[in-house]
Amino acid sequence: MLSGIDYFIVIAYIIGMLLLGLYFKKFVNSSEDYFLGGKSLPFWAIGMSIVVSDIGALDFVGVSGQAYRYGVSVGNFDWVGSVPAMLLAAFIFIPYFWRGGMYTIPEYLGRRYNKSVRTIASVTWILFFALDLGVLFWASAVLLNVLMGWPIWISILSTAGVVGLYTYFGGITAVIMTDVVQMIIMFIGGFALVFLGLHAVGGWENMVEKISTMGPEYQSHFDIIQPSDTKSPFPWTGILFGLTFVMANAYMIGNQSIVQRCLTAKNEWHAKASMIFGSALKMFIPILVLFPGLMAVVVHPDLADGDQALPMMIKSILPPGLVGLMFAAFFAGLMSSVDSLLNSTATLFTKDIYQPFIKKDADDKHYLKVGQITTLVLLIFGVATSPISSDFPGIYVAIQTFMSYFQGPLFAILLLGIFWKRTTQWGGLSALVIGIAFAVFLNVFKEHFFHIEDPFLYISWWSFLVGFVINVVVSLMTKKHSEDDLKGLVFSSKILTKNKSL
Amino acid sequence: MLNFDWASDITQETAKMIFFGLYLFIALLVALLPKDYIFEGIPKNERFWYKNLKIWSWTVLGILASVYYFF
Repeated sequence: MLSGIDYFIVIAYIIGMLLLGLYFKKFVNSSEDYFLGGKSLPFWAIGMSIVVSDIGALDFVGVSGQAYRYGVSVGNFDWVGSVPAMLLAAFIFIPYFWRGGMYTIPEYLGRRYNKSVRTIASVTWILFFALDLGVLFWASAVLLNVLMGWPIWISILSTAGVVGLYTYFGGITAVIMTDVVQMIIMFIGGFALVFLGLHAVGGWENMVEKISTMGPEYQSHFDIIQPSDTKSPFPWTGILFGLTFVMANAYMIGNQSIVQRCLTAKNEWHAKASMIFGSALKMFIPILVLFPGLMAVVVHPDLADGDQALPMMIKSILPPGLVGLMFAAFFAGLMSSVDSLLNSTATLFTKDIYQPFIKKDADDKHYLKVGQITTLVLLIFGVATSPISSDFPGIYVAIQTFMSYFQGPLFAILLLGIFWKRTTQWGGLSALVIGIAFAVFLNVFKEHFFHIEDPFLYISWWSFLVGFVINVVVSLMTKKHSEDDLKGLVFSSKILTKNKSL
Repeated sequence: MLNFDWASDITQETAKMIFFGLYLFIALLVALLPKDYIFEGIPKNERFWYKNLKIWSWTVLGILASVYYFF
């Protein structure tokens, strides 16, 4: 499928990423440098990194496929599903985490609630990230195998080698700065496909007219708001309550790989600005991933599987050279997801598990070494577990479903933790455990409770609500924390004034 | 109840207005933030209008509202 110029672009991209990442090795002298980039990074780099980490190659294919099947309503995830949550994160949560000098979200939960809440949250993220690594390695190997003809194991080892080397040596600074280049490549490749695709379908208006006249199932393809009784997974009630109020906030405020980036900012303004700048860039993502799916409805109307929409569009629309660039964009999405997972998991393990439970008062160089060794171990674990994806093709969806159990209750304890002084450690712990159990229960018996095909948005809302109520009830029945315990951890109007003591 | 059956009578147009209302509400909350909080971390003599994060936020919300108006 690739021509000579495409091979050149892809190989030049891979080598360029490796060299750029390794350049940042010289800036790593302490654990703070490794995990927080020495708190020296500018907003634009962090904002670009947030966006490219959030959108991976699997999302490129998946979102285009959903746009092919359901239309523009899938764009809600990057529009209303990002901007309000990122503004809330920018102005309320990030300043607390940044001023508190925190490394991880579970670290905040540990200070606000107790060690058990911190450990449950941290272990859940570590499990999720570690399992995801193998899936991503497999996905990138399949891409390299199909497009470049490389054997699967050579593809896995080369991806792991490139990303592993720069993440091991350069830490989060290398991760963020390579993300910047990866985002630029993703945008160039994605926009090239959109412009050429629009040309192929005769322009936007022509495309809308053609799709709208294709039959009743396409009547609402251009309605971003779907009725509450739609059979698609995106009713407006689910988008508002499940996505906007819960999942988006849980993701932007509670996801280690997102928040850790903001904690690398050189000052508080840059930390806030990175989220807002990221939210502006996020609004372009649906154009890159959703529009090709819509165009494929016109160009390839009879696809059996919507997930073929994007590969088919690349094959039929892009000329040599741009195919290589688009493939580099795919690869950029995968690499940015892998390097984020590696660095964030190493941070979680070192700061939330190793430091409190295994070796408390070691010197800083020791923790830097632990972070690097953890990165290496994760790399080997990811490579070793990658064939699972081949044996169980549904594992990616299974991992995402597993995470959705966690999102609602996690956001409930974060929200109450920061806004309500009366919340206690036992309230937080029981909300997390019971909330997750309730989400699992709803998912197992979803056919009995829900009418729509995939009710994950509703499940996240109801598990959030149960976690919220349990937290309030148990907190009122248990001993409240002292003012000293809560210093710097609970929202106070003082943060909005010149008083920086929070 | 778990399926939000009570919302089935709400039209798509009304639902869209609810989303616009949310964006307006967020824009108002941003407006209430004190200036010093918005510029925290920037020296006083470098607090130019283009570093005002309120303006950034309103711009993003404006674009978001336009997208929902268009679709």
